[in-house]
Formats: sequence, structure tokens, C-alpha cells
Amino acid sequence: MAEDSFLTDDLLRQLISVGEVDLLVGLPSHNNAETIGRAVEAIEESFQRAFPRQRVVIVNVDAGSNDRTSEVFLNAVPRKNGNSRGLTSLRTEHRVVTRYENPSSATVFRTIVATADLLRARACAIVSAATPNLTADWIGNLLQPIYRQDYDFVAPLYARQRFDGLLARTLLYPMSRAIFGKRIRELHSTELALSGRLATNCANQNVWHDAPIQDLPQTCIALTAVTSDYRCCQSFLGPKLRPAHVSAPDIVTAVRQAVGALFWCIDSQDSYWIDRSGSEPVPTFGPDHELTDEQVTVNLQRIFELFRSGVAELSPILKAIAAPDTYAEIQRLETLDERNLCFDNALWAKTLYDFAVAYHRTLLNRDHLVQALVPLYRGKIYSFFRQHAASSPSDIEADSENLCLELERQKPHLIEHWKVNSEVKP
Amino acid sequence: MKDPMLQGLTRAYENLVHMIADFLPRFVVMVTIILAGLLIAYVLKKTLRSILHLTKLDRISEEAGASHVLRKAAMPSMSEFLSRSLFWITLLGFILLGISVLQIPELQEQIARLFELLPQIFVAILILFVGVLAANFLSRAALLTAVNAGYRSPRVWSGLVRSMIWILAISMALEQVGLARQTVVAAFSIAFGAVMLAVAIAFGLGGRDLARQTLERYLGDKEKEREKEGEPSPL
Repeated sequence: MAEDSFLTDDLLRQLISVGEVDLLVGLPSHNNAETIGRAVEAIEESFQRAFPRQRVVIVNVDAGSNDRTSEVFLNAVPRKNGNSRGLTSLRTEHRVVTRYENPSSATVFRTIVATADLLRARACAIVSAATPNLTADWIGNLLQPIYRQDYDFVAPLYARQRFDGLLARTLLYPMSRAIFGKRIRELHSTELALSGRLATNCANQNVWHDAPIQDLPQTCIALTAVTSDYRCCQSFLGPKLRPAHVSAPDIVTAVRQAVGALFWCIDSQDSYWIDRSGSEPVPTFGPDHELTDEQVTVNLQRIFELFRSGVAELSPILKAIAAPDTYAEIQRLETLDERNLCFDNALWAKTLYDFAVAYHRTLLNRDHLVQALVPLYRGKIYSFFRQHAASSPSDIEADSENLCLELERQKPHLIEHWKVNSEVKP
Repeated sequence: MKDPMLQGLTRAYENLVHMIADFLPRFVVMVTIILAGLLIAYVLKKTLRSILHLTKLDRISEEAGASHVLRKAAMPSMSEFLSRSLFWITLLGFILLGISVLQIPELQEQIARLFELLPQIFVAILILFVGVLAANFLSRAALLTAVNAGYRSPRVWSGLVRSMIWILAISMALEQVGLARQTVVAAFSIAFGAVMLAVAIAFGLGGRDLARQTLERYLGDKEKEREKEGEPSPL
């Protein structure tokens, strides 16, 4: 176990009665009484169908729900499956619950990986109890590559509406791919799976209290797998629906959490990527991506205004962060009208690398620095919407690929500035 | 005629010798104290500099924006600034101590008063310094929050935050050194109260719509709010 005092005595007592397991599914929850029952059914069904003889446990880490989520979790009755032929009677399916009051995501994930480490699970999947359309296939698709094919990390892939998840499409995926050299699309998802080896490695990391990963530790887990040369793959799960009563984070919160965590990983893992170039695909089960063509309502006028006023008001901060030529280009964009604004991939790549270097050198408070990126991100997505208003999913995918290649092409620019007055950590 | 003159000269000479004999040891002690002070101040400076390097104060100061202020004022880095300050404060203390050994009554009185004030001046400087740090950090946080939320006049909000913290820090520093204590406290209370009342009236009467929108933003349904604002889901 990573740290004897970290898991509560009550949880340890429950785990002692469970003993060693083959598979563990972690189910973080917070006021998910409506959906957690269905999630448990899906997990149990997956166990019955794909892992009938394995020793299994479901661990619910609850973040202080006041709607009886944990009770629903413990009392959920597995659906009768005609194909299981009573195989579930061969083993006990354990359910374990632990509760914290307002924990960070890092605490929740740490509890799950420490539990997987303690129970010596061979494979551990983490799925969100809030996901309304979780199916048995999702669990199978996450666990099978690890349990049957000896992978160490499985990232999910989702079918997405073409303008959904733009932060991942325009920033997180291209930047992580160019810097770390692995083409993993979803580094920040609430669903993922990891092997016992990787769980032990993560549980023993000393990063769980670091502020930048408190809200999105998934990025750190994924990049630990990449940088420690574990076998990584992706598995297609299907469309991900947003829970009815849970709102997605707004742009500012999402940028602070996701970009903050990515920049922190880039900074702390620079010895891994500083001498690497290019990128390689990772094995993928199912389609590599799937974009649907639904229409969305977006207030482009407001996004444009927020970009322009943001660049104008934050000019001293942006000037301190961006290289002079990058800043001059951004200023030029600010003077353009709505019809002519085009935040091209080359400038976006330069901007992201300048911000990463400024983060590395701590030119100002790191959280403030990440927040200063928000107006520019708005400019980029405004440009993206205008460019792809009538584009087909394949055109959008081609443009995303161009952005990835542009970031890979400009990586020497990043390395050159990164190394000035800095020491790469061994 | 010759004798009284000779006697006078002899007395003057003896007085001079006596004075020199009396003063010289004290002067030597003073020089010794100052030299010892110089050495101690130098050692303290080096020690503090090493400790501050270990604690990575420069990085923290850079993050908080204090280094930016120091650079603007053509000052060295934070750790250098603090270690040099300690050097000069220590040396000044020893110089004053040395001068007091000369036992010149008027000087001694002034030095005693200065010694009494020194700790208060030091604390006042520290208060001002922390005030500058807090003002920079919080005003930048206010600016970023206001810009990203799309509020009007974000620099006004940022400037307001900065001014309030500066006023508070200056008042506290002046109160610390005991300068016009009553006046400072009264002036601060009046100024602070007036600003708060003005903000409350302006927000309550002039900005009823803004107040409603702000409350809705924080207490209402965030999802509906975002849909109204028309921004796509980022993740």
C-alpha cells in the first residue's frame, strides 16, 4: 500500500474482508442517487458477461452526497441476465463504500488507485457514477485490453457532436500529442482503466497534494503511463451523454483545471519529452473518432467580444507572457472585425508554446497565467466555428490533424525557449 | 605677564590632552563596534541570502508580482533586497551603538529615540511590503476574473481592489510608527466607509440589473446561464 495512514480504518476493514481481487471498478459519486443504480447494474452485467470467474469488487468513493447515493449503490440489485447461466454464484461480488466530505478529485482517484494497489487488482477501471448512459460494454471495453491483452492504460474514446469538447480538440490533444509523442485523445476523461502495475506506480507518486492536479488528476495518471513507458491504448465507448442535473464546467473553470494540469505535467516531466520529436499512434479498439452532425446554438458575437475585450484589457499580462512576434500577431487580430478574424494554427501553436514556457519560468502566478489564456482560447474557438460552420466531420478532423502537425513542427521552438536559463530536471 | 600666559597655555594643553585621553579610548571602542557590526552584518546578509535561496523566495515573489514592482523601481531580486536590508539595518544599529559610546548627551538622547522607533519602522516597512504583494496579486486576480466573466470596466475593479489594499496597508504602517495615530485611524475609517457606501449605493440603485444578473450567475442554473451566453461545452 502506498501510504498506511491514507485510507480510513473503516475502508481498510472492508478491504480486509474482500481479500485479493482480479478486477476493481472505482465509482466516484456525488449526489448521483438517480444514476448510480444503473451504473452498478451495468458493471455487474459486464462482470457476468465478460469476467464470470474473476474475483471482482466495486468501490464507491462518495464525495459527501446527501441524497442516499451510497445506500442506492449498496442496495442496487443486479439485472438477471439470461446468458450468465448462474455463473455469478461461483464468486462473491463485493461492494465497498467510503465517504469523504468535499474531497478533491485527486483524493477520490488516489483512494481508488491505492485500493487497487492494496487488493492487488490486475485491472482497475474508473467510471463516473454521473454518466447516464453507462453500459456493460463500456466496462468490458475498458477492462478487456488490460486483463486479456496486457495493456497498462486504457483511455476512452467517445462519439462527439462536432463542436463538443473543443478544448480537447484545439488544445489538450494536439499539445499533449506534440509534446509527449503519443496520440491519446482523451487525457482528462472521467472514464479510464489502468493495470495493477500502473496503479501501484500512481499510488506511490508524491504528486497527489500538488494544487494543479487536484481537480483533474486523470491527466497526471495518463501522462504517468506515457512517460513511464507503460503500454497504452484507446478504446471506443460510444456517445457520452451529459447528466441531466449536472452542468459541465464553464470555459474558465475548464481551462484552469485541464490546461493547468497539462502545463503542470509538461513542466514536471520535461526530462521525458525534451529530446523527443514527432508522435506515434497508440493501438485503438474501435473507431479512432466519431463526430456527429447535430446543430448547436452558439453566440459567436459574444465569444468574439470576449476575445477582443480580453486581449485589450490583459495587454500588459499578454505582453509579458508571449514572445514579441506572437504578441504583435495577437494585437493585430484584436484590431480585425468579426468577418476577418482568423486565429490560424501556426499562431495558436506559437501562443500555446509561449504560455508553456512562461508557466515553466513562472513569469507570474501560474493560475493567473492559465487564466490569461482564456480570451485567446475564445478567439481560437470563434475562428474554429466560423471556419467549420459548414464543414463535414472529415474536414474538421483534417483541420485538427493539421493543428497537431503544426505543433509537432514548432516543437523545436518550444525546446529552444525552454532550455534558456533553465535546468531540465533529471 | 609671561607666567599667566604660559599657565593658560599649559592648562589648555593639559585639558586637550585630558580630553584626547578621555575621548580616544571611546573613539577606538566606537570604531571597534562599527567594524564588528560590519562583520556581523555581512555574515547575517550571507546567511539570510542562503536561507532565502533555499526557500525559493524569488520564485514566490515572482509569482506574486512583487519582483515586477522591485524591477520597476530598479531594485534587485527579492532575496537580494531582503538580505541587503538586513545588512544595512544591522550596520546602522551598530553605528548608532558605537556613537552612543562617545557619550555626547544630545546625540545619546536622539539615538535612544531612534532605537525606540527602529523596530516600529521595520514592522511598518514589512506591512507596506506585504501590502504591495497582496495588492498586486489580488488586483490581477480581480482583473482576470472580470475580463473572463465579461464584466464592464475590468480595470476599474482591479484598480479599486489595488487602491483599497494600498490604503489599508499605508494606514496600518502609519499607525505602526505612531504618526498622527488618531488622524490616520479616523481618516481611514471615513475613507473606507465612504467607498463601501458608494459601492453599495451604486450597485444597489444604479446597477440593479447587474446585481440581478450577478446573483443569477452565482445562484442560478449554470447550464441555463451558459446556454443563454452561448458558449459551447469545452470538455
